[in-house]
Amino acid sequence: MPELLGKDFTPPDIRGKVTGAAKYAEDFRMDGLLYCRLLTSPMPHARVLNIDLSKALGMEGVVDILTADEVPEQPGAATNILTNEPHFVGEPILAVAAVDETIAQNAIEAIKLDFEPLPFCVDPLESLRPGGPNAYLEGNAVVPRQGVQEFKWTAEDFEAAGEGELPMGEPTAEWSYGDLEAGFSEAVFTLDETFVTASNSHHSMEPRTALAYWENGKCHVRGSTQSQSFVVPGLANYIGIEPENVVYVAEYCGGGFGSKGSAYPTMAIPAHMSRKTGRPVLMRISRAEEYFLGSARPGFQGRIKMGFREDGRISAVDLYIVQESGSNGGGGDMGAAASSVSIVYTPLAMRYRGISVLTNTPPRGAQRGPGQNQIAMAVEPLLDKAARQLGIDLVAIRRINAPTNDSRYGANRQPVTSAHLRDALDIGAEQFAWQERRARSGQRDGSKIRAVAVGQAFHSAGSSGYDGLVRITPDGILHIHSGVGNLGTYSYASTSRVAAEVLKYDWDNCEIARGDSSLGLPWNLGQFGSNTSFTMTRTNYAAAMDTLSKLKEIAAMEFGGSAEDYDISGESVFNRSNPSRRMSYARAAQRAIELGGAYSGHTVPDDINPMTARAVAGLVDTGLIGVARDNMGQRGMVPALAVGFIEIELDVETGKVEILDYLGVADCGTVNHPQGLATQIKGGAVMGFGMACTERLIYDNVWGLPGSVGFYQAKPPSYLDVPSEMGWAAVNIADPQNPVGSKGIGEPVMGCSAAALLCAISEALGGHYFNRTPVVIDMIVNAHSGQPQSHTPLQVNTQ
Amino acid sequence: MMKDMIPGFELIQPTSIEGALNLLEEYGENGWALAGGMDSLGWFKNRGKRPEAVIDLEGLDALKGIDETADGIEIGALTTLTEIELNPLIRERFWLLAEAASKVASPQIRNAGTLGGNLCQDTRCWYYRYGVSCYRAGGNTCYAAAPEALNREHAIFGASRCVAVSPSDTATALVALDAEMVVRNSSGERVIKAENFFMEPAVDIMRMTVLDPEDLLIKVRIPNTWTGADFYFEKVSDRGSWDFPLVSVALAIKSTGDRIDDARIVCGAVQCIPRRLRNVEAMIRGQGRDEDTAAQAGAMAIQGAKVLNYNHFKIPLMENLVKRAVRG
Amino acid sequence: MPAVTQIVRLTVNGDLREVGVPMHFTLLEALRYGLGLTGSKQGCDKGDCGACTVILDGRPTLSCITPVFEAEGHAIVTVEGLADVEGPHPLQDAFDLHGAAQCGFCTPGILCSAAVLLEKTTSPSRTEIKEALSGNLCRCTGYSKIYDAVASAGQRLQVEAQLGESGR
Repeated sequence: MPELLGKDFTPPDIRGKVTGAAKYAEDFRMDGLLYCRLLTSPMPHARVLNIDLSKALGMEGVVDILTADEVPEQPGAATNILTNEPHFVGEPILAVAAVDETIAQNAIEAIKLDFEPLPFCVDPLESLRPGGPNAYLEGNAVVPRQGVQEFKWTAEDFEAAGEGELPMGEPTAEWSYGDLEAGFSEAVFTLDETFVTASNSHHSMEPRTALAYWENGKCHVRGSTQSQSFVVPGLANYIGIEPENVVYVAEYCGGGFGSKGSAYPTMAIPAHMSRKTGRPVLMRISRAEEYFLGSARPGFQGRIKMGFREDGRISAVDLYIVQESGSNGGGGDMGAAASSVSIVYTPLAMRYRGISVLTNTPPRGAQRGPGQNQIAMAVEPLLDKAARQLGIDLVAIRRINAPTNDSRYGANRQPVTSAHLRDALDIGAEQFAWQERRARSGQRDGSKIRAVAVGQAFHSAGSSGYDGLVRITPDGILHIHSGVGNLGTYSYASTSRVAAEVLKYDWDNCEIARGDSSLGLPWNLGQFGSNTSFTMTRTNYAAAMDTLSKLKEIAAMEFGGSAEDYDISGESVFNRSNPSRRMSYARAAQRAIELGGAYSGHTVPDDINPMTARAVAGLVDTGLIGVARDNMGQRGMVPALAVGFIEIELDVETGKVEILDYLGVADCGTVNHPQGLATQIKGGAVMGFGMACTERLIYDNVWGLPGSVGFYQAKPPSYLDVPSEMGWAAVNIADPQNPVGSKGIGEPVMGCSAAALLCAISEALGGHYFNRTPVVIDMIVNAHSGQPQSHTPLQVNTQ
Repeated sequence: MMKDMIPGFELIQPTSIEGALNLLEEYGENGWALAGGMDSLGWFKNRGKRPEAVIDLEGLDALKGIDETADGIEIGALTTLTEIELNPLIRERFWLLAEAASKVASPQIRNAGTLGGNLCQDTRCWYYRYGVSCYRAGGNTCYAAAPEALNREHAIFGASRCVAVSPSDTATALVALDAEMVVRNSSGERVIKAENFFMEPAVDIMRMTVLDPEDLLIKVRIPNTWTGADFYFEKVSDRGSWDFPLVSVALAIKSTGDRIDDARIVCGAVQCIPRRLRNVEAMIRGQGRDEDTAAQAGAMAIQGAKVLNYNHFKIPLMENLVKRAVRG
Repeated sequence: MPAVTQIVRLTVNGDLREVGVPMHFTLLEALRYGLGLTGSKQGCDKGDCGACTVILDGRPTLSCITPVFEAEGHAIVTVEGLADVEGPHPLQDAFDLHGAAQCGFCTPGILCSAAVLLEKTTSPSRTEIKEALSGNLCRCTGYSKIYDAVASAGQRLQVEAQLGESGR
């Protein structure tokens, strides 16, 4: 039985958060600090013809101005650090540094800019029409390695689509498996539905502020990122220096949800400005700016045809997605959505086609469950539609299509490491008293209708091949060096405990080195994509196993025999047949320093990343160094799966939905940190409720102006919009490809709640399907009063 | 464009009402009377309003507090919404106002936000707040009424070039309670019916109330006319916290047995001013307070509504809210 | 040109502090830039999110939209002042224990709103907690653990009051 894993603990960084001592990027102060503000584009697409800085530069307190010509240009449609051809409202054109923020902003007003407005587009389908507007002068879609090109569908493509149906012209991405035609002919019920899932912002509580200064040729940056080591190469590239010359501090991050997983362009502005002025520079991003230039989830205009056998089994799926990819080409959401369908419903045959289209709206990037959560919102209510048609229970239809350990994933029919969605459904149905509650679903009390529903979601949640680094110092302390980052989930800490577990350490004698690259942090994957639990338990396990071997070798050198004769207990290593031959870890660490070589970091394995090698080089002779690449191998994709059960009351007169109860169930392998898991399930649920029903990202079609640039306009859920108590449960079956059984879970716990809520709303409205998210109050009121909706079926940016 | 950075201003903190009125007169259009600051600071940060002098009313204790008078109560314009929400006298006699105040934004906003500020706040039309040069901002077009505009929150009644709506939760309650606004400037005092306090765009497109730059709302009087009446208040918004109404309704109603003697009914967020439904009031007088009357009231309430692209949901929503209010 | 600064006298966490600030500064700017008290956060700049919440004369107050000169003469408590000589505020321990802070950016404001609630009642219902904290946005936790933490801190205050051990 593990001593530490599976148990709650108090994460070491929480105290700073409750006392105000924790320093986020905006909290650092330095002598001579300059404050930077941005001049951003007022137009969705324009060319800067002329810039007159003279008046601004003459203002007292203004120190310098940085323009696009002074920073490295980014390839293709990647967002530039600063630009003379902005592609969205709010894109940074230049930056002003001054002795305070007010002066910097006042100077920006004194800058004269001449713009040439250029054609723009905020609707992907419009852009695909013959002669439709392009977001870029070069075209409207990003082709890998070829840059931006123009894609247009034919007039016939548009005419071929029926009223309200998605036209399906030539895609840029396509895959299929199985016999689609046979699948559909086998079906007793086939649905063909067009849908829209709107973009939504991340609403991280901390805007993407950064501070930078230069010292001895190195650039020191304090940033707001989810990840630590993973950020450094990208950031170095934005600054135009080698990664070893970046000192990066991201000890705390006020939320990212995918939008701060990697380096992003604006975080390099203080570095460039600091190099130019020779002074430290802080650039705070305001909330409005965060909405302008922060990231958003790509929207979908999609169409799905699904064939069902009489028993509810899905025999065929034909999916087409047009992805709204903002100004930068977005992410891989549409492909991820398709792969998600392949594993959550395991259709016997499937075809996916997609095209990703640029628009003059904010850059798009990953948001919690990128692709998987959009498609969960679109498809799950349709599953209910089929279940009703076929007379099958809503849980049963999910159960019959659910993946098992033998299921295959995506285009390449990859195997999976473990999949227990069926168990999750069973556990949830039992705990939620599904049958009992379903009996009252649809009951009406005055204007209120009760509804009970279920939703599911998935994310690929684990990776391998990264480095682990731990160290025992002569004082006996175990230092676990974590380069993953600190998104706020405490998974950096819970995965570090694996090293302590392997070495049978008392947790009080362990310290986690993190948050500052100068502490010597290994190369780790970023803290995103629900991967940390799987990936980092493996790296820490690998480093701990290396440490364990070295401890035994040192003991064998001291006491004789071979390493295999030794074991550990009580933070010491001892001879199994003669336990009096015992050496404390502290003494072993001292011996490691005396021995040198690999024991104290003079040599490192050949296969570790140069960043890890540099980290070790900085730690030479400080103790016993355990360092190793995770070479455990990985066969297949690691599925994180989640199910949400919900009961709501919908008031048909007001369109208001009250969530009465919610239970989230996770298939995340062995539960490592129960408290952290519970918060992921419940926090994910609330984000899902917001995405499904309240959050808005609207754009005026005619002017290209964003209409949701404050929390009160973008509407993430408040305390008053969600239940005060929610339940959680876990399947808790070990993943066989992780040394401690762990898999990630952060993302699907959002998608399943969103799906469950949308399913419940449709249930309450007697099987009315909106085929659109979010489902906002006006849509519910219109639906119930029999009015048409305001938007046309494929319209985007309207809610 | 939103910038979230105040350009700077002179802050003047008068210690008497007279001092404040003199300053307002002196600065005119270049002055700004600051109450709780809950809306003002946002305007300053966005640089949408750039007063030269901000006249901070915080120190004027004479404008704070709730007093009982011979024929009702008086509420100082600087009384916070939290005080109104919790005041026993208001809760007992004019629950409608306490309820409306409790639905404003968030606890922190209500702690600092004042009744005067809530009544005088500017519209939340997103185009106008974004900083476009529209009629209300002194320009020559309305972005929100354009053929493809996103105007889900906008007016279904009384639009005249501008289609913005009144965002105030307390305004609807005070019109329903037949309150009076006591307004003063350096040359004297005038009393205005709450119903006539708010400005239609047809009359002055750049103001939300009848207040001139040199005017100060001093207090609000609520007569005892509706003491003891039944009240109904409901605000439908996307979120439970920090949100503005999509439609709201405030009703004061007196009945004898099942028969309605008299009523005042007002809807918020459907027009640039709180919309009093006089025809509905007249129709329900003498009727039974039942489902039939409620249905008739709802149907009558929406007569003459004119929709934009994205707000036709407000018609059934308003009909339903009026129905619910009358039904009780 | 740089704005003219004036001295403002603020009573923060029990200490009278003087700081030179431009007249248009908000209380939050004065705390963060003038006094180096960076615990209160700038989440939205407009009073939407509650991350800047401080306690002004016993009331949760949005320091980002409060002019600093309005705070003169009033008692201000920030997250840095919640603990006292006897140790952390029970809320701080409870947030640790329940894992009620995730990314932590909203936490200082939530603690200030919650501390005021517990001054009024040490046994708040879920509904009372919900109402009291409804002006504080949190994107990570789903709010649920915050309820648990506030309730348990209230219980500890009750026990302490019964034992008469604490002068809180």
